Amino acid sequence: MAQANHVQTDIPRSPNAKSRVGMEAKPVDSHSVARRLQSELMSLMTSGDAGISAFPEGDNIFNWVGTIKGSVGTVYEGLNYKLSLKFPTDYPFKAPMVRFETPCFHPNVDQYGNICLDILKDKWSAVYNVRTILLSIQSLLGEPNNDSPLNGYAAALWPNQEEYKVVLQKKFRETESGGVSS
Amino acid sequence: MDSDDEQDYMQDSDDDYGDYDQEDFSQEASDDDYGYEDMGEDDDEPSSRLPTAHYAILSDEDIEARQAEAVKSVASVLSVTEEEATILLRHFKWSVSRVNDEWFGDEERVRDLVGLVHPAGLETGRGRRKVSCGICFDDFSRDEMIAPRCGHLYCKDCWKGYVHSEVGEGPGCLTLRCAQPDCNAVLGDEMVLQLVDEEDRKKFLKYARRSYVEDNRMAKWCPAPGCVYSVEDLTGSSSMDVLCRCGHNFCWECVEEAHRPVDCATVNKWILKNSAESENMNWILANSKPCPKCKRPIEKNQGCMHMSCTPPCKFEFCWLCLGPWTEHGERTGGFYACNRYEAAKTEGVYDEAERRREMAKNSLEKYTHYYERWATNESSRQKALEDLRNIGDKIEILSERQSQPVSQLKFITEALQQIVECRRVLKWTYAYGYYLPDEDIAKKNFFEYSQGDAEANLERLHQCAEKDLNQFLNDDPAAPTDMTFTEFKTKLAGLTTVTRGYFDSLVRDLETGLKSVDGKAAAEAGTSKSSRSKSKGGKGKGGSSRPKSNMLDEVAYWPCERCTYANPNASIACQMCASPRPA
Repeated sequence: MAQANHVQTDIPRSPNAKSRVGMEAKPVDSHSVARRLQSELMSLMTSGDAGISAFPEGDNIFNWVGTIKGSVGTVYEGLNYKLSLKFPTDYPFKAPMVRFETPCFHPNVDQYGNICLDILKDKWSAVYNVRTILLSIQSLLGEPNNDSPLNGYAAALWPNQEEYKVVLQKKFRETESGGVSS
Repeated sequence: MDSDDEQDYMQDSDDDYGDYDQEDFSQEASDDDYGYEDMGEDDDEPSSRLPTAHYAILSDEDIEARQAEAVKSVASVLSVTEEEATILLRHFKWSVSRVNDEWFGDEERVRDLVGLVHPAGLETGRGRRKVSCGICFDDFSRDEMIAPRCGHLYCKDCWKGYVHSEVGEGPGCLTLRCAQPDCNAVLGDEMVLQLVDEEDRKKFLKYARRSYVEDNRMAKWCPAPGCVYSVEDLTGSSSMDVLCRCGHNFCWECVEEAHRPVDCATVNKWILKNSAESENMNWILANSKPCPKCKRPIEKNQGCMHMSCTPPCKFEFCWLCLGPWTEHGERTGGFYACNRYEAAKTEGVYDEAERRREMAKNSLEKYTHYYERWATNESSRQKALEDLRNIGDKIEILSERQSQPVSQLKFITEALQQIVECRRVLKWTYAYGYYLPDEDIAKKNFFEYSQGDAEANLERLHQCAEKDLNQFLNDDPAAPTDMTFTEFKTKLAGLTTVTRGYFDSLVRDLETGLKSVDGKAAAEAGTSKSSRSKSKGGKGKGGSSRPKSNMLDEVAYWPCERCTYANPNASIACQMCASPRPA
């Protein structure tokens, strides 16, 4: 990958990362993070999962753009969502920040696109990766956790799937016409 | 302090299993560290004096030693490794007995709870040459990878990254679980310490030590700023005052500064009140009026009734009626008297606002009264504490000048200790007094009387310990003094005892909620007080039976025939029961 070499020189140095430079035997260095992200990218591109994809945004391998297709058989079928993934310098020991860039009407997504999903918070494990994250979010779309909603209206509407679909489609078209769509 | 050591020892051994006791530490704590408690404490009476040790002060080393003891004990009783014992103890908040109970109750459940899963055979991979690490996706030979007891293999670098990031998160790293999602196995200190760098190692060990205090119901940090010591309760008594090695005296229960005899609830209310905005609000209410236009509060501290609000408002109005100034003039009674106000006042328009303001003012005055006294006593206490810290030098000078051994001069230290303690008690009695209902006149009178008595004695003692003492510390050793040093010694020691008596009784009264006032109250109170007052009376005056106390203040008493209360000579009727003074 010609791009990969280029990417490595562009690793952002957060203040945190800088302070670690002087430390002995620093366990997390940006190079190993970049290496892991590259290998994730490779496996993601070769795996060919249906309905999900992700790729670094521009030259910075710490910022990715992902897409998710609503699963067949759910109210989200046929809708495409764009997400952003920002990886911390201690990835994969800390979860990436994942957000919907396309506004998403969903019980566990707020108006800013923040997602309430346990594996992105306290249940994060270094063993998870971009692929598992996107698959989890994809399945979250069809199976929301209505007990702890970020969007109370969506959660209340969820049991009535037909009406939910109408509202969802309306909201989605609004965003499309607003030019924000993917 | 012998009795204290013995008590510590006994308490320890019935808390825990036989082979676990803390005798050594308690001894160490009580021998070295209550320096100023050692002196002059002979009787066991509950009183306003310095606390006795039902607790031990722990330094970092003490904590480590105790942790090691507990770990050893658990390891041997449960036949587990010390590492496993550490994990168990951390989980069960360092209670050895609880670990034992839970473990023998249901070992499997406990193992599951704390993550001590049974060691699994390591993941396959021995046969293959390289294994892929599930975190970095690189291939490694088997010996470059490690696994906790569950057998989930990852490469060393990834484990390092994992542990580093968890240690950075805080004390949660003490119960670190396997990196595999849903795997419950703990890592154990050995594995963690093998993976961390020096900085994280220090952090981890610090958290490990602190868990002994922070998770433990029987231990607390000393709340003084910058103090490194912690305190361990040895007797399970919830209400006690603790004197830390740093000199800070605090209540075990609420961790505020020591406030005996006043209870924690009153103290918290008082502290809240002191810090609360409510008093400011009361002041504003009592002393200001809002500008009728912009509503900002205005304090009128001088000048006429013609008010001009500050820019940008600039509204001109009358202070009395708050109406616009343009309406004022000849027809409202001239510029110097506002008829509108007077008229409205007679109609009662302003009554309510007025009354509220008046009430706020009164309540503020009451609060200020108590607060001032509370604060003054605190600053006197600080002053006395400082004197106490510097007393060593003075005693050396005195010892030289009076050619007395230092041990003969400890009555001065005792006096200062008593002053510090009494100032503390007295300070909190003002918080108590503030919350004593006004309706309960008998209690209030009795309380204020005892408080007044105690305070008067304390003042004499304090003055003696400061002013009289300084005479003997003059730059010019030959300067004349009011009394001989022996006289001074007798006076100060006498005042110390008398003041202690007064405060003991005050503390007792307050701790029983002034019960003695209820019912036939006055008589009882009179009795208990008279015994006290007699000793004071005895030392009181030249003509009394104890010529030694000549130099004490000139107070004499007459005993009431009805209630036996000892009244000062000046009063013509008994202060307790109001019977007239016998001829």
